[in-house]
Amino acid sequence: MAFSLSDLKKVYGSRTVLDIPSLEIESGKIYTLTGPNGSGKTTLLNILALLEKPSSGRMFYKGRQIQFSESVLQDLRRSIVMVAQHPILFTTTVYKNIEFGLKIRKISRLKRKYTIEKALDLVGMRDFENAQAHRLSGGETQRVAFAQALAVAPDVLFCDEPTASIDVENQAAIINILRQANESEKTTIIFTTHDRAQAGALAHETLSLENGRLTGQSRENIFNASFSGIEGNMAKCTIRSGLDIMLPEELVVNREKVFRLLINPEEMDFGDGKSDTASGRSYKGTVKQISEENSSIYINVDIGIPLSLIMKREKYLQNPPFVGLSVNVVIPPEAVSII
Amino acid sequence: MDYLLDSLYSAILLAVSIDAELLTVVSVSLKVSSSSTILASVIGVPLGVFIAFKTFRGKRLVITVLNTLLALPTVVIGLLVYSFISRRGLLGAFDLLYTQKAIIIGQTILIVPVVATFTIAAISRIDIRYRKTALTLGASWFQAACVVIREARFGIFAAIIAAFGRVISEVGISMMLGGNAKGFTRTITTAMALEYDKGEFTLAIALGIILLSLSFGINLLFHFFQGRTEA
Repeated sequence: MAFSLSDLKKVYGSRTVLDIPSLEIESGKIYTLTGPNGSGKTTLLNILALLEKPSSGRMFYKGRQIQFSESVLQDLRRSIVMVAQHPILFTTTVYKNIEFGLKIRKISRLKRKYTIEKALDLVGMRDFENAQAHRLSGGETQRVAFAQALAVAPDVLFCDEPTASIDVENQAAIINILRQANESEKTTIIFTTHDRAQAGALAHETLSLENGRLTGQSRENIFNASFSGIEGNMAKCTIRSGLDIMLPEELVVNREKVFRLLINPEEMDFGDGKSDTASGRSYKGTVKQISEENSSIYINVDIGIPLSLIMKREKYLQNPPFVGLSVNVVIPPEAVSII
Repeated sequence: MDYLLDSLYSAILLAVSIDAELLTVVSVSLKVSSSSTILASVIGVPLGVFIAFKTFRGKRLVITVLNTLLALPTVVIGLLVYSFISRRGLLGAFDLLYTQKAIIIGQTILIVPVVATFTIAAISRIDIRYRKTALTLGASWFQAACVVIREARFGIFAAIIAAFGRVISEVGISMMLGGNAKGFTRTITTAMALEYDKGEFTLAIALGIILLSLSFGINLLFHFFQGRTEA
């Protein structure tokens, strides 16, 4: 086990930004951390990367409880590295930037040279060895930051939105770098992303944060909604104008405020087009994306809001939809919950 | 007007000639100002770094006090140091009064706040990510601080230049603690004041030209260095 967290909290003033009763991160796996902006993803990464202290709770790394004293942290940080969302490189050459972490570890000059060249090869930046780091583009900076991190051969690598602000070509390069690091060095990788397809393609596990809490659910299909009336024994909740979702009346406790609604992607299905069926309300939409991950099929449908459905491969193959197809999505009330 | 132009012409001739008295005055000035700047940098830069990095109770108050000390009149420092190093003072036994050392002590006190506050400002302007990057790559607190200092080097260098500019042009401390002794503690500014008292404008203007040239030269050097490093 790489990390184990227990009753971990981070409080800023009177605001609890992180509240994690329990979390375990296994060694050698790739985790993705998803959640909306402000859900606590970066705070959690900073705490795990030992760059921030939690307000309370216990943290274990490789079975050892972490004491947040500078000498202990410095020692532990030698095997844990974080690449920030917008990494910054020291105002010197690319070579010296990568050399920094190696020099600190007192690695010999010859071995440093070999490691730096290997790291630059890995990220495809060998030609930039002597370039001034602060003159690189965003994507190049990101790649050098990865070379800087991987050169020190960390056991755990944290990446905050590693592909958020770079072009498609660089995104593919970064994903490759992460995959390679995990496969060849068994590096445990935890990265945050808003890109669900990327998360699914790369990660073994997904962690979802919502208001500083782990939801245990993937972030998809979480929407802001407000109560807008009762129909029969069901509460009608409006996600956006003209798009109402029905759910059991007793679930809507607070009818005044906006609340977060989760539609379970595994409990929806395609219907025959009748506006309401016994199994739930039907919504017209268009298939936007289909992907396969771990023998499940992920289908993104636009019904006025982007909605994800997950179904088993066998079920999908019975009547497979294709991208651009008009479909009717049935959302049964039991698929809807308030978080 | 003719008188002023004549004085200026004579002063330029004097400034470019190798006049022994002029050279002595300039060398004393450079010696004490450089010494006090080095001393103030040794104290002020680490002090600024410490204050910029550490979070402690009363930090704002310390910065406010340092900012206030920027406006400390040289005569007040002169008086304060005089009270310590005069014969009857606490450090009277060291016989420091009217020596170059006395000027250096006074000038150091004058510019430590300059170096420290400008260092704090220079470091505060440096992106927090530099420090985080250093830490996550395994640096100690000290190593991470060195990274930030390196990134803030131009700002810190500017602080030292500003401090040198302050001491080379001050007159109060040099006069009160140095005593304007010819060949020993006579600096550019005290010599200018003396020549003015005597009504001898030629030497005063010549010294003024040298003072300005010195200041210009140092700034030129600073910009040259900065330009090269950023290239």
